[in-house]
Amino acid sequence: MEGKKTDLLQGTLDLLILKTLTPGALHGYGIAQRILLTSRETLDVQQGSLYPALHRLERKGLIDSEWKESGNGRLAKFYSLTRAGRKQLAGELDQWQRYARSINWVLDSQ
Amino acid sequence: MQWPWKRAETDLEREMRHHLESLAEGFERQGLDPAEAMRRARKEFGGVGRFKEQCRDESRWQPLSQLGRDVTFGIRMMRRAPVVTAAAILSLALGIGATTAILSLVDAVLWRTLALPQPEQLTEILWQSKGRPEGVYHGSSGSAFQEGPLFVADFFSRAAFDAMRNQAAGRADIAAHLGRDDVSASYAGVTSAAQLRPVSGNFFQMLEVTPLAGRLLGPPDDAAAAPLAIVVSHRFWESALRGERDAVGRPLRVNGRSYTITGVLPAGFAGIVTGESAGLYTTIEQSPAVLDPTSWFHTAPANAVVWYLQLLARRAPGVSNEALQAALDPMFRSTWTAQPKDPETAPAIRLQDASGGLGSLRRQFGNPLSMLFALVGLVLLVACANIAILLLSRADARRKEVALRVSLGCSGARLIRQFFTESALLAACGGVLSLGVAYATANFAVTLMSGDLRLDFAIDVRMIAATLAVTAFTALVFGLYPAWRASRVDAAPALKEGSGSVGGTRNTWVSPAKMLVLAQVALGVLLVAAAAAFTAHLRKIVTAETGFERTRLLMFDLRPGQSGYTGPRLRQFYFDLEQRLRDVPGVVAVGLARVRPMKGGGYSDMLNLPGRSKRINTAVNFVTADYLRALGVRIVAGRGLSAQDVLTGAAVAVVSEDVAREIGGSPLGLSFTMEGKPYEIVGVAARARYSRLTEQPNVIYVPNSLSRDTFTALLRTSVPPMQALGGVRRALSEMDKYLPIVDAVTMEEQIANTLRRERLFAWLCGSFGVLALLLCMIGLYGVMSSVAARRRQEIGIRMALGATRNAVVRQVVGEGMAMAAFGLLIGAPAAYYAATKYVDYKKLGMAPLDPAIIGWAIAALGLSALLAVLGPALRAASTDPMKALRQG
Repeated sequence: MEGKKTDLLQGTLDLLILKTLTPGALHGYGIAQRILLTSRETLDVQQGSLYPALHRLERKGLIDSEWKESGNGRLAKFYSLTRAGRKQLAGELDQWQRYARSINWVLDSQ
Repeated sequence: MQWPWKRAETDLEREMRHHLESLAEGFERQGLDPAEAMRRARKEFGGVGRFKEQCRDESRWQPLSQLGRDVTFGIRMMRRAPVVTAAAILSLALGIGATTAILSLVDAVLWRTLALPQPEQLTEILWQSKGRPEGVYHGSSGSAFQEGPLFVADFFSRAAFDAMRNQAAGRADIAAHLGRDDVSASYAGVTSAAQLRPVSGNFFQMLEVTPLAGRLLGPPDDAAAAPLAIVVSHRFWESALRGERDAVGRPLRVNGRSYTITGVLPAGFAGIVTGESAGLYTTIEQSPAVLDPTSWFHTAPANAVVWYLQLLARRAPGVSNEALQAALDPMFRSTWTAQPKDPETAPAIRLQDASGGLGSLRRQFGNPLSMLFALVGLVLLVACANIAILLLSRADARRKEVALRVSLGCSGARLIRQFFTESALLAACGGVLSLGVAYATANFAVTLMSGDLRLDFAIDVRMIAATLAVTAFTALVFGLYPAWRASRVDAAPALKEGSGSVGGTRNTWVSPAKMLVLAQVALGVLLVAAAAAFTAHLRKIVTAETGFERTRLLMFDLRPGQSGYTGPRLRQFYFDLEQRLRDVPGVVAVGLARVRPMKGGGYSDMLNLPGRSKRINTAVNFVTADYLRALGVRIVAGRGLSAQDVLTGAAVAVVSEDVAREIGGSPLGLSFTMEGKPYEIVGVAARARYSRLTEQPNVIYVPNSLSRDTFTALLRTSVPPMQALGGVRRALSEMDKYLPIVDAVTMEEQIANTLRRERLFAWLCGSFGVLALLLCMIGLYGVMSSVAARRRQEIGIRMALGATRNAVVRQVVGEGMAMAAFGLLIGAPAAYYAATKYVDYKKLGMAPLDPAIIGWAIAALGLSALLAVLGPALRAASTDPMKALRQG
């Protein structure tokens, strides 16, 4: 629980959401929890950016939404990747990895 | 049903709730009690509102839902400032409405072309000369007018018509027509009054009119000996013929002669004159006036010095007006049997475009209408300025609100959209209201133009669209300016500034709103001066001395000739009638006359005095003995006409004072000749108007021979004139129950009818003036209110420091009046310049502008300005210093 929280780099939230949705549909709260968990509690996505991002992705047609019963018996809006979303994710992952590698090379150089 | 954007909203709320509850559950699992868990969850979640707003920005329904919210918000803002809103909407409605109505009127009279194939080929054939050509013709019927040094007339001899028609064939198709004639027409036993226009047989072929039923007239009908044929207008067919399909082929009795109805004109054919009222058409040869052997027209065709035909032509394709004119000129000259005394005055053909019909109505109304059009344009400008002012000052009042919204994260684009919506809303409300104003104005104008004018007058959608575009454009531009300004404003100072910066007189002297008020007042002076000038003109005419008492005079026409009275029987009818009318209760005196007084037109002739070279031009009326007594014209010397004079057809005359003055000395006992017949002057009558209120010609009265088939009866009554009409009807039906009374009116109504042009003009101008005044007041009020509101704090401080209420009132009033005075300073000379330079008073039949009128306009505007600024000034003075200071 003591892990240092990191601010998200601009533009990376969309990527994280798309990645988080790869295994299957999740609701907003679930996405935030999953990111928190997988980032070893270093990335706490603020609701203030999460939901606008979800709506934006939905409008772009990268994710789909559906009202379904969630684990606790309440209705929640579940988001899932669309075909376009998967394609976008693949492209962005590739881009990100190249980018991160480049940055690392620069930072690791003496 | 749920709106998609509304559903998005609740979806969003549900989603948020789900998140919150999930968070809270997490906290509960950590051991917190439910209430505490929810509180923590909320804290963690952050501001729900801002968050929803951000999500909304991403929503698919965003544009539409925001429009909805902008509209709702706009309406709320409008309701919060009802006076400003009402003023803006009213300005819009009045401006657009009046412009549209006048535009439509101008269109109906000036612009619209006849509903005929290729109307641009139609041309009116006139002739013009430098001054009246003496000697070329000795009798004429038609119309003539003076255009600068040119004398322009529309009458031609039969010989000239034949020559031009035959020789120009192939280059132009020329047809002739005569002026309308009042007739009585009976169909299936029902008699009604109608107007008949005699035309040449090729008239309808030339116009390319196709009949609704039957056939139209043709060249074979061009003979008196042919079976009498008549064509009826669609309107006449619907009313007098009750729209019967089998009316074609049936007889129609016109002035006692039986015609066969050969055809019905289509509904789209509204005649060749704007406002045409003719319902019947026959060929010239078969028209009642020409068939009547005693009529002047009967012998006219054979006589080359009698010019009486009006000509209308359709140019062949490819023939220009110039070429046709050059071709017609020698043909016209070749038919003259005499040359003008002064060769300089020789007539020459002049062609005038007739695509919109013949020009008389245009000549009568054209100039006033284009002038009205210019005025209404100015009114529209003032209205636009007003909207701009109101929007600007409203934006000023909302500076704080805008600053608050900007500081809370409202984007510039969002703000501009909001203001845009509000302006559009305003424009839309004004546009809808303007329709009502346009219809009301148009109807009003048409009633003012009453009489026998039948204007097909429709509010044109294109016109409304055009004027709406202008005003909407203003509303949008001036609605957006404040938004644009606000979006660049730094929010912090504006917020701190509060409702008024202390001592901060920013934008006080040269703000856009003030410049607009200035311009508005300047235009206002012009409009108010115009209004004052035209109403003064009307007043002058209406109150002009007629020379007789106008109240308690009844007039009507009778047409016994059309009911078969002729010769001695006709004379006897007149004598009986005069006697019987005199016995009707309430009738004081009865006169019969050939020329109806104050109807316009009439009869004029030249008096030749033996031994003198100068001839006297005078109007003539043929009357019975009691006519002058009934009209109420005094005999100032000699005697009036006696019953004996009328009975014996004595060659005597009573002349007006003006004629006497022109003769010089005492005219009693002198004699003159008129149309070759000698008359002796037996009396001099006081000055009295003849056929128009606007002019006082020479007049002579001679005994009526009682041989003509139509005449006007003039009754002086001791009771209100229309009350006497019942008795008149009874008396008449005892004599002949089939004789209709035509055009029974009181003298006052008759005069009002002849003044329709002046009245229309004065009323419309007057309303524009009042409108301009009102708009200026609204504008000034708006600006001064916002100035006073912005400086509330400053005023509060002044008052706290001991300024009296009077001082505050004086300050605000002074500022407003200075603005108005500046506008007047610019406007008054401009108005005077425009009025002296651009208005042709002669064409409008007016005396040149009296400078005093501009003075009156200035006074009126000054007074209204004072009234307008007094409100804001008093409100400023009632400021509670403590409140004003605390509020800042």
